Amino acid sequence: MFKVGVIYLVIISVSYLILLRIDRGKTLLSLQVAGRSLRKLIPLLIAVFGLVGLFQVFLSPDQVEQALGAGNGWMSLFLGGALGAVAIGPPLAAYPLAGSMLDAGAWPPAVAAFVITWISIGVITLPFEASVFSIRYALLRNGIGFISALLVGLLLGALL
Amino acid sequence: MNPQEKPGIWLVIRSQWLLLTVTGLYCWAFSLDQGKALLALQISAETLASVLLLIAAVFGLVGLLQVWISRDLIVRLLGREGGVRGLLLAALCGTLLIGPAYIIFPLLMSIHKQGARWAVVTIVLSAYAVKLQMIPIEIEFLGWPFALGRSLLTVALAIPTGLLVEALMERSKL
Repeated sequence: MFKVGVIYLVIISVSYLILLRIDRGKTLLSLQVAGRSLRKLIPLLIAVFGLVGLFQVFLSPDQVEQALGAGNGWMSLFLGGALGAVAIGPPLAAYPLAGSMLDAGAWPPAVAAFVITWISIGVITLPFEASVFSIRYALLRNGIGFISALLVGLLLGALL
Repeated sequence: MNPQEKPGIWLVIRSQWLLLTVTGLYCWAFSLDQGKALLALQISAETLASVLLLIAAVFGLVGLLQVWISRDLIVRLLGREGGVRGLLLAALCGTLLIGPAYIIFPLLMSIHKQGARWAVVTIVLSAYAVKLQMIPIEIEFLGWPFALGRSLLTVALAIPTGLLVEALMERSKL
């Protein structure tokens, strides 16, 4: 993991150096935006990685597999999607949690549904979405989006 | 319009609900079994340390995209394009915008008022579940077949999802 990070960091640094010559002001602003976005996410990162540790130590793979494993079929797919739909948060937070689930033996389609609904479906933000767009739109989008997330999970399961 | 502008304790709870929950869980874990709780903390720190460089790099990219691809540009692009090109552009924009989805609701509504179709708005929100700049992190945690497969399928299904939502919205107007 460390090596990938270094390679990626080098690529991004080179991009910054090149862009610095094209437009100094914009590139420095990019760096500022990057720093600000990252700082804002620090509490969340601590929380998510804290959760990953708890997950691995206190939840036995048996328990995870029983709830989200392939043996639980449709129920595990629905549960994965529902967990993500209730929670809201930046995408970055979804990956480590989803990784812990996979490691503990969760069914990949259920994990995929979890990642998708975590990012794009929000039960808690539904009232806000309805006030911005309309209640009909909010219900349609979240409802159809949820089904589509389960479908992506199933298709991914067929591919893997 | 922005929920983040509401002051008070709800703001703290809303923005830090996860940190508060996890802190609570750790208190509970320490009261249950101190050794196990310490082990959990250690695993957490090691996992975080292992991806710290990658996260720093990804945020470097996030900064670049935010500044060089401005929201004004996205509004201009999505408001005007109505055809297949517009739908594909919507999918691309969705994969590049970051933050919790509710942050962009007002932006999308203003695009819709400027003439963008419901399908465009919905495709942005569906494709939102893919984050191009985060894919290296997704690959680290979930493996590349999972990460790439999930991303491609999500974008592919975003378009029919958008068209279906639009069809149902149009019907409601009649």
